[in-house]
Formats: sequence, structure tokens, C-alpha cells
Amino acid sequence: MKIVVGLKQVPETTNVKINEKTKNIDRRGVSGVINKYDRNALQTALDIRDVVGGTVIAMSMGPNDFAVSLQEALSLGADEAVLLSDRAFGGADTLATGYVLAEAIKKIGGVDLVIMGQQSVDADTGQMGPIVAEMLGISQVTYADEIQPKSDNELRIKRYDDNIEQEIIAKTPLMLTTTGNAGKPEYVNVVEIKNSFEKPLTTWTSKDMPVDSNRLGQSGSPTVVRRIMSPEPKERAGKMLSTDATKAAEELAGILHEENLLAEED
Amino acid sequence: MDQLKTREEILLRMVKSFTENEVAPFDSEIDQTRSYVNNLLEKVHDAGFYSLVTPEEYGGAGFDGRTSAKVLNILAKGNASIAVTLEGHYKSVEQIVKYGNDKLKAKYLPQSADRIIAFPMTEPTGGSNPMGINSHAEKHGDSWIINGDKIMITNGGLAEIYCAMVKTAPTELSFFVVDQDMDGFEFGKQEKFLGLTGCPIGEILMDNIEVDEYHLLGKVGMGPEIGNSAHDDARVLMGAVLTGIMEHQLDIVSEYATQRKAMDTPIIELQTIQRKVADMTIAKETTKLLYQQAAIMKDSGQDYEQEAAMAKAHGSRAAVKSGDDALQILGGYGYSLEYPVEHLIRDARAMELAEGSVEKMRTEIALIEAKSRV
Ligand SMILES: Cc1cc2nc3c(=O)[nH]c(=O)nc-3n(C[C@H](O)[C@H](O)[C@H](O)COP(=O)(O)OP(=O)(O)OC[C@H]3O[C@@H](n4cnc5c(N)ncnc54)[C@H](O)[C@@H]3O)c2cc1C
Repeated sequence: MKIVVGLKQVPETTNVKINEKTKNIDRRGVSGVINKYDRNALQTALDIRDVVGGTVIAMSMGPNDFAVSLQEALSLGADEAVLLSDRAFGGADTLATGYVLAEAIKKIGGVDLVIMGQQSVDADTGQMGPIVAEMLGISQVTYADEIQPKSDNELRIKRYDDNIEQEIIAKTPLMLTTTGNAGKPEYVNVVEIKNSFEKPLTTWTSKDMPVDSNRLGQSGSPTVVRRIMSPEPKERAGKMLSTDATKAAEELAGILHEENLLAEED
Repeated sequence: MDQLKTREEILLRMVKSFTENEVAPFDSEIDQTRSYVNNLLEKVHDAGFYSLVTPEEYGGAGFDGRTSAKVLNILAKGNASIAVTLEGHYKSVEQIVKYGNDKLKAKYLPQSADRIIAFPMTEPTGGSNPMGINSHAEKHGDSWIINGDKIMITNGGLAEIYCAMVKTAPTELSFFVVDQDMDGFEFGKQEKFLGLTGCPIGEILMDNIEVDEYHLLGKVGMGPEIGNSAHDDARVLMGAVLTGIMEHQLDIVSEYATQRKAMDTPIIELQTIQRKVADMTIAKETTKLLYQQAAIMKDSGQDYEQEAAMAKAHGSRAAVKSGDDALQILGGYGYSLEYPVEHLIRDARAMELAEGSVEKMRTEIALIEAKSRV
């Protein structure tokens, strides 16, 4: 199977700084790490490859220093890496980013599976996987918790949604987004780091793909960020009742009375 | 891409996440049970930590002095014992690299990926005074017969390979590499030490161990030089461990002092508390600068003996004092065995003795300084 894993480098701290003027994330002076859900995506890809064979290609769009995260992916076992980096890609929203990723995946050609994390921890949109799937015109399964190859072109996927558990058998070509339960990310081995430099890490710019320049970067981004704020944590409105049914019924009746929620009997 | 910088960044990212997930949550349990719970040692081994400083040509990762010290700084913030276990191993690997002949290196350096190496010098009759030791080796044809008793060895009992200092003549010190699998090798008693309790400290007994000539480190009589070199390398790493301990103390204290209130004010607003936190911060930062300076000098081929000694001499007392301040800031909780502050004092205290007592180090620092000026 030919598998592409989308990786994003995010600031190490959860305390993300926003540039007041541009409303973009200010990456200066903060060291990066691979977005945590993307570690699950990568591990899932490596696990599938180790069962059915094939190659895992790690891909990221971003500034040159994102190459460190791709090199880390190579140290973790990815076979190849592609960095999509160009000034023209800068300031992209999810749509413009998805466009470039989809074009790069088309350029690689013959990709059976695209895996991404469910969301990035800095921007938190959760849109990238679905956008890329739509642009490639392939099926998608989001928030996958457990993934097992069923055959060379089929996967058995479990996803837990609130109270339901779904099991899906999906055929490739396919796009998956992974939750924090998928795969069990391993630590980079100290010795493997240097060996990873023998694997190919290529950079593609806008010139390397047949892209429409109007759909790149800021000009290709319809999203306008008006304001960024941290929501005040809200007190939960709900009340917890006893776990004992009789007591709970008494408490509930009491509350309904107190709040005047029961129709008065004549 | 700057390959060396990238390598270091990937490594340090891993070490941070390893420390957060596998080390820090078990710090108190390691201290209380005196063991590396939750398979920590296995995880450390599997992530390749044993190979960190082993040269690439022997299958290692070949990281330099600065990077290896930073790694121990990060790990020690999670737990100082595991960092000292690795410190003991790294400095031993480094002496085999520096002083081992080709045959010895080819035999033991590849094994350093899986087997811990230790560095026994101290004996019941000699710690600060190396000439006080009784262990000795006698030449018989092409081999040496070694006898003696070594105590207080970092990783003693856990390590499988030992670089032991012995007398090859009444006033001549030399080092030999012995292996736990050799006839005549036995483990002795384990120390019950006050701090660094996760790290085994123990004794080995050598009873007519026979080794081939190539097990000699360097040349006969090079014991003092090799011992000093091991101390220098260890002291850089201990400066890093002590920095990690102080960062741990500062984490605890910062959280506590911003939440704990006196009347209605968080105690961090009180000048008496600020004074302590400021002193702790200065102590941490000066130790960090000293160990990093020593490591940079080491990597660039300069003499780093004095800087390494200063990193440990300054850092060990500073970390004990900083631990005392942390204890005081936490009030009664600080004095409780259920809070992780008191054991950080015990851990730091070990480093005023291990790898040379602070008194002896001060003598070294003073003599180097005076000599350089006259
Ligand atoms: C945690 C830990 C780990 C250790 N790991 C190892 C190890 O891996 N390998 C190993 O060989 N040893 C190890 N040791 C032993 C350590 O190196 C010795 O404890 C240390 O060298 C002091 O020796 P000593 O205990 O015999 O004390 P002594 O040498 O008897 O010293 C007693 C006191 O006299 C002072 N003193 C002695 N000589 C002088 C002098 N010339 N000038 C000024 N003051 C002096 C000392 O500073 C000390 O205060 C370890 C010790 C500890 C606590």
C-alpha cells in the first residue's frame, strides 16, 4: 500500500501566541513538535505498512523548519518525506492548505491511503482531512480509533462516537483521520535518528506542481479571522443526583418542586 | 538543513516527551520503592539511551558532550536516579573510547548498547585517597590476575561490565575492564544510601579474575590520568543532573506559591518567598551555565577540568540549598515524605560526594586557578 501521512508541526507549548495584527499563530521563539494526533496517524500508517507492505510517505506544508518534524517522521520509520514549502503557500487557511496537499498527493500518484490526525492542537479546526478527501474525490472515515488491514485494499475501522461504536469496512483509495486512540506512538530510537538521513526528504515548491496560483496562500483563503479569544470557562448548568435510584427520584422531585416546574393540582 | 542541529532537536523532543510520560509520573514511587518501577530501565534501553555517546563506528549514536549533558538535564527533571544511572554508564563508555585499545573497543563498545558499564575506584580503605586502595593485578605471562574489593559503585549490581582501578605495583595505579561473566567475579552488598535511591550503588568482589592484556585501559600506571578524566566527564554530566533537580524544585515551588494563600494573597507576592525563589532561580541558572560551558570546552578540545569541577562543586551545594528553600516554601508539606520535595534534597546531597568530594574539588579548582596566574 502507498500511504501518505499528513503531519503538522505545532508549537510545543499549549500556550499558543497569536500575532495581534495578522491573527496568525506566532511561531517565533517557540520550538515545535509533531501535532500529537499526527503521531497516531503516522503510527497507524507504519503498522499497516508492516502488515501489508508498501511505503509510508510523510508530508507537511509549512516553512522550512517543518523539515525537522519530517526528519523525525523518517526516524520513526517513514520511508520518504515531502516538504511543501513556498512563500506563495504562506498565510493559507484550511482550504488553500488542503488544495496544496491534494495536488502533492496527486503528483505522487497511486496513493491508496491518506492518513491525518483528527485535528491540529494549535488551530483545532479538524477540517484538513475531509477537505483533502473531497479534493481528491475519495471516501473518508474520520475520527478512526482502531484500524486493521483486512486485505490489500480494504481496512476494518472502528470509531467510537459518543455512545455508539461503529465498525466500517472501507476500500481504498481512502482518507482516514485518527483520534488519540489509534496506533500506539513509539519513541524515536536514539540511534535511528542518524540513520534517517539516508532516506529521501524532498522539498516541493509551487513550481513543482501544476497549481493555480489564485488558490494558494492568502489569496486562495476565503477565511477571515475577525477576532480570537479564549472562551471563559462556564460553570456547568447540570446538577448531579445520587446514583441510588430511590434517592435520585426524591431529589429530582424536590428540585422540580423548588423550581416550580410542576403543574399545580387544583 | 543543519544535520547535527536537526539530530539534536529530534533527540531532545523525544527525551522531553519520554521524561514527561515515563519518568516524571513515577518519581516519588522510584524514590520510595528504591527501584525503577514500571519497567523504566527496559524502556530506557529500548529507546536507545545506552548508546547515546557510543561512537557511530561502534553502532552508537555518537552525540557530543553538550547534547548528552542536555539529555541528562531533561531526564533529571523527571527523576535524578535514572539520570545518574546513565551518567555512570556514559562516563565509563567515554573512558573506553579514550583509553581502550582497538581490540577492547571492538569487544565492549558495541555491547554498551545493551549492557551498562560502571567505574569502580573506591574501596573500604580508599575513596578520596586512591593510593589507599588494596586491589591489585599481577602479570602472569600474557594475562593479569586481579584481586580486590570495590564499594559504592554507581550501578554496582546492575552494570555488567566494570572498569576497575587496581595497583599494578605498590605506588602504581592502572585500570582493567572486567565482566560479570568472568570466573572469580562476584557481587557484594548493596548500599542503603540516603538519596538517588532508584540507582543501585553496590560492591563487587574480584577473586583471582584472569584477563588478557588487552583488558588494560591505556598503559600500566595511567590510573591517575584515567581516573581524573572519568571524573571530569562525570562532573559535566552531574552539573546537568543538578540543574534538572533544581528545575524540578522550581516547578513545584512555582505552582505551590502561586496557589497557596496567606490571608488573601498568594504567597508568591510575599518578599520572603520571592527572595527564596529568586535565589533558587539564580542557583539553577548558574549551574546550567557552568555545565554547558564545561561541555562546550570539552567538545572543542580545550581543558575543561576546572569548569567541570566548578559545575559540580557549585551545583551540588546550590541544589541542596535550593531544595531547603523549596521545603521551607511548602511549609509542613515540604517536610512530609508524601510530597516530592524532601527527596530532591537527598538526591542532590549525593553529588557533594560522588565523583569526588566537594572538598577535593575545591582543592583542584584552586590549584588550577593559581597555577594559571603565576
Ligand atoms: C551516590 C554515590 C555514588 C558513588 N559512585 C561511585 C562510583 O561509581 N565509583 C567509585 O569509585 N566511587 C563512587 N562513590 C564513592 C565516592 O567517590 C567516595 O565516597 C568519595 O570519593 C569520598 O571517598 P570516601 O567516601 O572514602 O571518603 P574519604 O575519602 O574518607 O573522605 C572523608 C572526608 O574527608 C575529606 N577529604 C579526604 N581527602 C581529602 C583531601 N585530600 N582534601 C580535602 N578533603 C579531603 C572528604 O572531602 C570528606 O569530607 C560514590 C559515592 C556516592 C555517595
